[in-house]
Amino acid sequence: MSDLRSSIESAEASRRRKWPWAAAAAAVVVIVAGTVLAVSQRDSGADPAASDDPVSGGTLEFALIDYQRSPDPQWGTNYAESLVGNNITDKLTWQDPDTGEITPWLAESWEYNDDLTEFTFHLRHDVTFSDGTPFNAEVVKANFDQYVHGDPALDINANGAALLPGYIETQALDEYTAVVRFEKPLASFLQATSFTANAQPGFLSLSTLALNAEERTDATKIIGTGPFVYESWEEQVKTVVVKRDGYNWSPPAIGHDGEAYLDKIVFNSIPEASVRTGSLVSGTIDATLDVGTTDEAPLTEQGFDIISRGVSGTAIFFNFNSQLFPTNDIAVRKAIQLGWDREAVEQTVLTDSYSIATSVLAPSVQGYVDHSDSLRYDPDEAARLLDEAGWVPGDDGIRVKDGKRLELKLLGINNLVVNKPAYESIHEDLQDIGIDLQLTVVPIPDYTANVANAATDWNIVAANRSRNDPAVLNLHYSPALGNASFVTGDSPGIDVDEVTEVLGQLETTLDPTERAAYAAAAQDLLIEKYALVNPIYNPSQVIAQASYVHGIIFDAQSRNHFVDAWKGTGT
Amino acid sequence: MLRYAALKTGRALFVVWAAFTLTFALLFVLPADPVSLLFDPAEINTIPPEVREQVAANYGFDQPVLVQYLSRLGHALTGDFGHSVQSGKPVTEAVLAVLPSTLALAAGALVLALIIAFAIALIASSTRHRWVKELIESLPSASVSVPVFLSGILILQIFSFRLGWFPAFGDDGPSSLVLPIVTLAIPVSGPIAELLVRNFAIELRSGYVTTSWAKGATRAQVITGDVSRNASLPALTIAGITFGNLIAGSVITETVFAREGVGRMTQTAINTLDVPLVQGIVVFVAASFALINLIVDLIYPLLDPRLRAVLAAPAVRTA
Repeated sequence: MSDLRSSIESAEASRRRKWPWAAAAAAVVVIVAGTVLAVSQRDSGADPAASDDPVSGGTLEFALIDYQRSPDPQWGTNYAESLVGNNITDKLTWQDPDTGEITPWLAESWEYNDDLTEFTFHLRHDVTFSDGTPFNAEVVKANFDQYVHGDPALDINANGAALLPGYIETQALDEYTAVVRFEKPLASFLQATSFTANAQPGFLSLSTLALNAEERTDATKIIGTGPFVYESWEEQVKTVVVKRDGYNWSPPAIGHDGEAYLDKIVFNSIPEASVRTGSLVSGTIDATLDVGTTDEAPLTEQGFDIISRGVSGTAIFFNFNSQLFPTNDIAVRKAIQLGWDREAVEQTVLTDSYSIATSVLAPSVQGYVDHSDSLRYDPDEAARLLDEAGWVPGDDGIRVKDGKRLELKLLGINNLVVNKPAYESIHEDLQDIGIDLQLTVVPIPDYTANVANAATDWNIVAANRSRNDPAVLNLHYSPALGNASFVTGDSPGIDVDEVTEVLGQLETTLDPTERAAYAAAAQDLLIEKYALVNPIYNPSQVIAQASYVHGIIFDAQSRNHFVDAWKGTGT
Repeated sequence: MLRYAALKTGRALFVVWAAFTLTFALLFVLPADPVSLLFDPAEINTIPPEVREQVAANYGFDQPVLVQYLSRLGHALTGDFGHSVQSGKPVTEAVLAVLPSTLALAAGALVLALIIAFAIALIASSTRHRWVKELIESLPSASVSVPVFLSGILILQIFSFRLGWFPAFGDDGPSSLVLPIVTLAIPVSGPIAELLVRNFAIELRSGYVTTSWAKGATRAQVITGDVSRNASLPALTIAGITFGNLIAGSVITETVFAREGVGRMTQTAINTLDVPLVQGIVVFVAASFALINLIVDLIYPLLDPRLRAVLAAPAVRTA
């Protein structure tokens, strides 16, 4: 009955339904128009030339992907945590980002014994924490003890155990003299005192050290000696720091006198890349980290500055598993070193902020030696090496030896946007010379799960190690320590003792000439003699900033310090 | 009636317990060792074994699985889900700290979604023009087809970066909520709108509506007086689905708009395999889900006389 009424109301002859199509077309037009409007470039007026004199005051709005999971700088292992930690706390020494040399900071001078097992630091007398308590040798002792051993009663982990292996104790000889003692020679300790990356040795006040892990989630209780002090910490959202009044001990090498210029810095956590760049363009943010390679050119065109620094440590590398078939064959390893087109990767995947690796060490690390002769694209030579070793091209183009295909399994991390496209380009090139490279590029937790079985399951592990010291090669590749290429008695043609000794020499001396010689020997061993590693590219930290922002410093580990940063007119 | 209530409550409790046990089992069956994830992947080989043992002992990972399970369950019953492995904060505190932000977002999105859904249903059923009806009826499908991150970013680009009407990230008062609420309301409104449109159409053909027409009611009076009440009741049954959409949508919305919240915390907790935190969040979501369904089950008889009659009638024996 009601159907009758409805049918009378809609008693038009039923036509072929055109309206849904019209509606869909209209929706498509709206979406396309919206997208075009959204992504079209906006003209930004050219900023007037600013004067070169630093301006005091102002708030810097900064953006990055990560957020601090805890305000405790000694615990923090992600980028945001080490970034903020560097501005709240200070270190004993400052490593010059250009030369890699260790220069004074909270320690004015130091000596060490010939064995490199005892390091004596003479501290500045004028340093205080933001709660007024003095910084002295007792504080250094309390910090290092807790840093290396942790404190189970307070739920504090042994955050620094990996950085300071073999630590025995710290002695406070007098108020401003501290002696740190180790069980075995640790040349890299000097650089470790300047370390500004994961779980950094920044000094906390005695009151902070007495707090347990839960209490340390109250940022206002974390007291350091740095140029800034915590004002607030909102997890996942932002961290706010304010200027420390009376700060007067920035590293002499920087050449900055007195307090920081900025009144306040807000570190905003913005996970989505387009929101970071959009906020920068619209002026809500003054500077942002984590700039994607495809954003660099558009931002430069819109009048923003791109500043960057290569990460110091190893390059992004392919570590070969020397005891697993087929990477246990040196011909295969060398063929891979020669088998990929570096120019192609450079032009299609990298930007000016990055560079193709020319050694397993990044160029900014002391002792770096250019190996681009061996690390070149030479597919003919690669093919020849494989032919000589008995690898015959099979039916599908992939080489075969003794009935087994030349297939390799690679494990990589997808955290850096450049990784996957670079590896895929290499996969293509290697396929042309008959090598089947199977890629598994996954997020960090999956990578960690798989790397536990790296010795038996993976031919190549692709990662990097950030540490601005040639001893990073020992830490990472020595059969006694990291053994990233799994050099054991089962690795054919490799003298395990030789590897341990050549790499271990790096820890035995701080004499620059000797160190340089040992570093050269280590790189030769890893790249030429045993071809244990195939370096790919040097990763970078890239910042995009408005043109009125000045003075953001990249330190030797490519972390940022804001003590010298200021905002000019035109804000 | 009491039996009905007891049955539903029991089922709700079972769901929560099952969620707890399943997450526990899954997280331990996964190949990653939770202790390894606390360290930088590049440095894992250089971590001394004593350090790893100490960290494992800290979090109780070194005890047999069954002991861990029972001890966790015991603590959970008192509301203690342990401490987040990544931040050291107690899990309950961590979730409660970000909960208000998600609640504000979810409540606002739900209200807006209901408004949109009713508007769609009312327009679709009251219009005389067929083309308007079909256009409006295609909106629910469109709303669930557009990915949340795409709509979120588009909305941000237009209303925040271009026009500057609203902030793009963070949480500075009511204006920060507008864009996220709109973004989240779009996919949530879809299923509700679809259901309401169908029900309105069905109710309009039923007997009591014909009676109203016969008694001289206008179209507006029929729709608002008779149809709306009866047609909206089934929307309660998809409260569970709606809640699920809100949670799933909030993960993406909170990430795009850089807001703190349970959704974003879930994403980071899973990425870092923060076992206690993931478990706490899953149990929390399961408990909320079960609670909402329980409330709906208990309210339904009160709202629908037909169900009330069925429950009140003495059980009929089938011979």
